[in-house]
Amino acid sequence: MKEVIVRKASYLRQKYRMILSYTGLILVLCAVLMLTPLLALIAWPGEGSQARVFLVPAVLMAALGIAARQLLRSKADVVLNVQEAGVIVLLSWVLVCLFSAWPFMALMGLNFTQAVFESVSGWTTTGLSVVDVTQASHVILLWRSIMQLAGGAGLAIIMLSSITGPTGPALSVAEGREQLVPHVRQSAKLVMMIYSGYMVVGIIALRLAGMNWFDAVNHAFAALSTGGFSTHPESIGYWNSAAVEAVTITLMFFGNLSFVTAWLLLRGRFRAVGHNGEIRLMAVMITLCAILLFLLTTRGLYPTLGKSVRVAVFETVTALTTTGFSTVGYGDWNSFGWVVLIVLMLIGGGTCSTAGGIKQYRIYLLWKSLVWELRRSLLPRTAVTVNPVWEADRQVFVNDTRLRQIGTFVFLYLLTFAVGSAVLTAHGYGLKEALFEYASAVGTVGLSVGVTSPSAPTGVLWAEIVGMFLGRLEFFVILAGTAKLLGDSWAVVYSRRVTGRFEQGAGV
Amino acid sequence: MKVLIVGGGKPVYFLCRTFLDKGHEVTVINRDHEECVQMARRLKVTVVHGDGSDPNILEEAGSHGADAVLAVTPNDQDNLAVCQLASIQHDVPRTIALVNDPDNKNVFKKLGVTAFSTTRTIASMIEQRTALDEIINLIPVGEGKVNITEIKLQPTFPVVGKLLRNLSLPTDSLIAVVLRNSDAVVPRGDTELRAGDRIVLITLPANHGPVLKAITGETS
Amino acid sequence: MASDLFIVIVGCGRLGSHLANQLSRAGHGVVTIDADEHAFGNLSPQYSGFRVEGDATELAVLKQAKVDKADLVISTTRDDNINLMVAQVAKTEFGVTRVLARVFEPRREAIYRRLGVETICPTSVAADLFLKSFIKEGST
Repeated sequence: MKEVIVRKASYLRQKYRMILSYTGLILVLCAVLMLTPLLALIAWPGEGSQARVFLVPAVLMAALGIAARQLLRSKADVVLNVQEAGVIVLLSWVLVCLFSAWPFMALMGLNFTQAVFESVSGWTTTGLSVVDVTQASHVILLWRSIMQLAGGAGLAIIMLSSITGPTGPALSVAEGREQLVPHVRQSAKLVMMIYSGYMVVGIIALRLAGMNWFDAVNHAFAALSTGGFSTHPESIGYWNSAAVEAVTITLMFFGNLSFVTAWLLLRGRFRAVGHNGEIRLMAVMITLCAILLFLLTTRGLYPTLGKSVRVAVFETVTALTTTGFSTVGYGDWNSFGWVVLIVLMLIGGGTCSTAGGIKQYRIYLLWKSLVWELRRSLLPRTAVTVNPVWEADRQVFVNDTRLRQIGTFVFLYLLTFAVGSAVLTAHGYGLKEALFEYASAVGTVGLSVGVTSPSAPTGVLWAEIVGMFLGRLEFFVILAGTAKLLGDSWAVVYSRRVTGRFEQGAGV
Repeated sequence: MKVLIVGGGKPVYFLCRTFLDKGHEVTVINRDHEECVQMARRLKVTVVHGDGSDPNILEEAGSHGADAVLAVTPNDQDNLAVCQLASIQHDVPRTIALVNDPDNKNVFKKLGVTAFSTTRTIASMIEQRTALDEIINLIPVGEGKVNITEIKLQPTFPVVGKLLRNLSLPTDSLIAVVLRNSDAVVPRGDTELRAGDRIVLITLPANHGPVLKAITGETS
Repeated sequence: MASDLFIVIVGCGRLGSHLANQLSRAGHGVVTIDADEHAFGNLSPQYSGFRVEGDATELAVLKQAKVDKADLVISTTRDDNINLMVAQVAKTEFGVTRVLARVFEPRREAIYRRLGVETICPTSVAADLFLKSFIKEGST
């Protein structure tokens, strides 16, 4: 028994060298990212004194990353499997979020909880904020948008697009990304290209719609990553312009499109896109909800009919795509409006995109599953049924395992939603507000009814932090990764106690 | 004529019987020992037990002396292999492969193997919606460019009682042979068609339906 | 060999999966075809290509795997006839420039060489190696 533990510990040490080494690579890349907001100093050199709050954590992250790479790099070319990739994802996300909080603490005077909250909200592309944007410098505002941009692409894509690092698909899979072409690196590069293309077009479009360059850049980043951070407290409502709203809606829509679907569109495969379940679901939900919202909620509320229509459409799209830009407050909305928004936020955006929520593909499959069950009840008992559905450009058959996984996921999601809302109500908030705000957190949406603010209690903020994290990384990675980490640490610690001395890396 | 057939099942059994009736010499290659035994018992054919796509087995079965090799196994790849080996290794003049996937028919042709597909035949029979008991032996010939059909004339058919020259059949069709009481006659303009006659009809696929309709009078 | 080709491998057994893993790792885009979905379990976690479940003797399956865009097709099923058919179809119907077929039976290999199909015969290769080592031993 002891023999086995010691051998296992030695094996684990070897694996963890690799895991930490790759985590180090991600840290280095993110350190570089952390320096990019300083580009704002070109236009606003007066903020030069703020450079330090970015340089310090960036340098520290880079140092940590480089140290991990150099000291722990193993000679053998080890293969990453999905569990190990999960640990890398977990570790890197946690470390990156912590380092990213530094500027908020140093510059904006936020406490640890609030700074971590803002950082997590950025990386998970949520968009809930405890920062007073009227007091924030351009550098800080740009950093928030960059966090969303990078978080939307995903650390896996960032790493895979770089020159070194593992070539296996495990990391991509662990972060929930599907491949566009039959090689993972080429696929990652393609995703980056599509994403960059979106960005350029988005920035120009917003500028033409009436924003200044700084706002255009920030809002394009936040719209395409379906994040939702804005440079103004009124969010998109600040401009009160149909042109701005139209462009933003388009950008939000593309941000929530699965990259696979986007790739199909670019290649002209329109028929395949037409079959796509997510596209169909969006068509139905957006039309239905916008009409309902208009008729039952917004119609009487705003000075002009046009405004009411605009609000109904915009809020529907922002909730479903889980972006989080808003054009109005919800205080004067009736409960029906709140329910519609909550449902949209729970459903969420497209899979394999930057959006959050349960994701449209899962909802679509659950709906189809219902239809198939009803149909099966009308067929002879011994009839054999198959369940076809269109995935990307071909038809696949959904088996029960898939449906079971979806069922479990939805259960976890709703469980988290329930627990989180309960925590919020325990702090004294009303039921409506708690449900809305937590749906927004766990769906990484970003719409707020006021619960999230600098004066929110620590417990509330941490509940939301956990919700955002679980929502972005889709539960299983975090749960499995944590379980593996705990189990492996226990094995290593136990083996040390058993052998009674410090293992000098023997045999590694 | 020496014919070598690779394959098994009822189709091969009846093919053998047909060739034997016509006076040809038949050898069959089959993979299943039990089936080989059955065939040997019921037919006067040489049965070789083995894999027809194996060059050694083909040679043992006498492919170098064969006039035709017919590959009718359920697997397109095996049929292709048999025909290619027979024609390259043993210079067999006629090799024909059955293809199950109709798409493969053209590919096989490009590779130099004559192929036929029953899928298209059966499909076109059903498409034309003619009653199957009156129509026999619908054979597409010349790579599907020509159809040869045998039809037994029922008393209700509009063409019964008419002279051939008075028939108004669509163009590009021909009644090639009239079989009456086991006499085969190549008809002329003054031949009268009677109930019970079996006519052999030549049509192009495009007008096959209309011609049949004109003969049978069926408003399908 | 150029750095990123598009390669289609038919048959995901020991040889096929080994080739697929290596080629994918080397940076090429790889699609693997096998009639049995469980065969894909032979692929390593490093494999980042696509998988197509189907019978490679059907044109529709080859089309789904995008053989018409392939730079290289390798057929490694256990059935010589399937490998030979896939090789020839890929070349004549889809115009693939390089096609390789594994053929176990040496006699077949000789015949197909005449048709211009590139084949690799493990039986002959192994026999050669055995004989070489045998002769070497005999001469010392």
